[in-house]
Amino acid sequence: MGTSAVRFDRVSKRFRLGESHDSLRDLLASGFARLLGKKRHRKPYFWALRGVDFSVERGEAVGIIGPNGAGKSTVLKLLAGILCPNRGRVCVKGRLAALIEVGAGFHGDLTGRENIFLNGAVLGMPRTDIRRKLNEIVEFAGIGRFLDTPVKRYSSGMYARLGFSIAAHVDPDILLVDEVLSVGDAMFRLRCIDRMHELVRHGTTLVFVTHNLDQMQAICPRAIVLDRGKTVFAGASREAVSHYMTAMSRAYADRPTDVSAADHDRSSAVELIDVRFVNSSGKRIVWTRSSESMEVQLRFRLLNPIERLVIELNLRANASDNLLSLNSGRSGITFDRKAGEHLITLRIPSLPVCGGQYFWNVRMWDAASGTSELDTPFRFPLLVDDEGRGTGILCVDHQWDGGDVRTGEPTYSSASERSLEPTATRIADESLHLL
Amino acid sequence: MRALAIKEGAGELYRYRELLASLTWRDVRIRYKQSMLGIGWAVLMPLSMMLVFTFVFTRAIDARSVLNVDMPYALFAYTGLVPWTFFSMGLGGCVNSLVANRNLVTKVYFPREVFPLACIGSSLVDFFIASTVLAGLMAYFHYSGTWSCALHPAIMFVPIILCVQVAMMIGLGMLLAMANLFYRDVRQVFSVVIQLWMFVSAVVVPVPQDGSTLAKVIALNPLVPIINAYRDCILYGRVPNAAGFCYAAVMAAIFLVVGWVCFRRASFKFAECI
Repeated sequence: MGTSAVRFDRVSKRFRLGESHDSLRDLLASGFARLLGKKRHRKPYFWALRGVDFSVERGEAVGIIGPNGAGKSTVLKLLAGILCPNRGRVCVKGRLAALIEVGAGFHGDLTGRENIFLNGAVLGMPRTDIRRKLNEIVEFAGIGRFLDTPVKRYSSGMYARLGFSIAAHVDPDILLVDEVLSVGDAMFRLRCIDRMHELVRHGTTLVFVTHNLDQMQAICPRAIVLDRGKTVFAGASREAVSHYMTAMSRAYADRPTDVSAADHDRSSAVELIDVRFVNSSGKRIVWTRSSESMEVQLRFRLLNPIERLVIELNLRANASDNLLSLNSGRSGITFDRKAGEHLITLRIPSLPVCGGQYFWNVRMWDAASGTSELDTPFRFPLLVDDEGRGTGILCVDHQWDGGDVRTGEPTYSSASERSLEPTATRIADESLHLL
Repeated sequence: MRALAIKEGAGELYRYRELLASLTWRDVRIRYKQSMLGIGWAVLMPLSMMLVFTFVFTRAIDARSVLNVDMPYALFAYTGLVPWTFFSMGLGGCVNSLVANRNLVTKVYFPREVFPLACIGSSLVDFFIASTVLAGLMAYFHYSGTWSCALHPAIMFVPIILCVQVAMMIGLGMLLAMANLFYRDVRQVFSVVIQLWMFVSAVVVPVPQDGSTLAKVIALNPLVPIINAYRDCILYGRVPNAAGFCYAAVMAAIFLVVGWVCFRRASFKFAECI
């Protein structure tokens, strides 16, 4: 216990729901009401954290993940000392710098250079250090020529890069980073990750809050999963990801069922009611393992009978080309459907794609007349976990073999078979919104 | 307990002294950025008020005999307006300091006292700049023969007076900043009160000395001995009134302790109530 840099001891934090008194007038009004013996209605509380326990050892890099509203930011603010816990204790040993919002404290009217000094001071960096590292900061942020331009004229990317760059050069004992690497281009994100690795190598304790499991796993060997104000898991990052997905599935199940069909899910002939993903045991899911079988269930209403209905489901990773296009017509199947509600199921024995977030769309044709009846956007998300088997696009079963050419003696050890780096499971926060 | 809170707060503030300097400098910088006259406004504020009041009391209506000012009115008014502008602008900044820096209050931790202190610091810079014009004004009246401004050792008291004024401002500023964070209409109330306050603080009109009830009430205003002390030391070349000045110093100390202790106690709630 002596080496822990950060410790949460059964920490609870609550916030008051609704507005508290914001003006003297309200205060007077409620004061009078109390004088007259009227019952004062207390606003209810919302517990953002309920008895959260965890510790981070010195020099360790730990990720904190969890669905929206799990309490991640509250944890960081408690660590930073911005908030005080209602119950429990927060212990922090060492100089701490928190990057909770990039460029918090930047002033638009000041130039980049002036803001570096100001923000450095805000983050607790001595002036002499800032002067010494000025070139490094500017170079890292890549704002060279704009150093003496007021930051209000910066693009949002430059603004964010400068903000991160300053924080990355503070050299604290403990660095807190909250979901800031979503800014900047891929190149800059890579450099941020490198920089965080470097800091950790030099003994900085890192607490990293993110929705980007890719980045989290790249930096943190250990992670803590929060769900609805409680710690649900603390341990290896790879396992944490599974727990995170379970928490997400529950968040999904909790949401009101059957969102009313959007306009693009409807045409003069077809109304798409629901698209669900179901696992082998018949449970509704938002994520699947690439090795497991699953079903896609389409529920729709035909307003007119269609004699030869062809259905096509397409899968994409992001704005790329289709990875997969499953067309009933090409399988030689057309559906003869009367007007009314229908349920059609597509069974997939395995989905051999790498971990990440994918989207489906649904198309329908009348093969008799050749008219397109429905063509939705790619808006039905599905998360895939490949159990850490690879990066790239496809994830296929494979085996490695080999040996000394002359003797035929095996030169590989089977123990390392599963020691591949944990993969990247790209899940953006947006997935929940899209659901 | 109280002493401890202040000691702790002072220690923490010392560690963050560079931040305080940076924020003070930021406030000064921002106030005059993208403006034509820049730092000239620090002088123009009290100077223009001095011209307005001089016009009102000597040209629009001749109130010199009623006011009973025994020196050129412009000199009287400017000597009062420089510390007064420091007082009112400094506190005016404090009232808004926490709310205006909301993104810092909710996103970064450092002692919250830094915000009101930086406001007072930046107003102090203005105060020094405006003071230089006072020297010019004194020279003008001295050489035009209307008022003899002989420098006197009593001028050594000025730093002490300034310290008392700053202490009082820090205490009041913290209370105001905190109050405005919880109740936003404090700012409106403050802007009304500060206008009235000027006229009972011997800034542009001397306070009544006739023993009436009004005079007795006004005598409780700790700013009166402070503003008068500046005039005593600088213009009359005499030591300030001891009883009055001690009263002001004690009041300043009380404001400072009460303000700071309250501020520290409430500061852990700032981020969630702002």
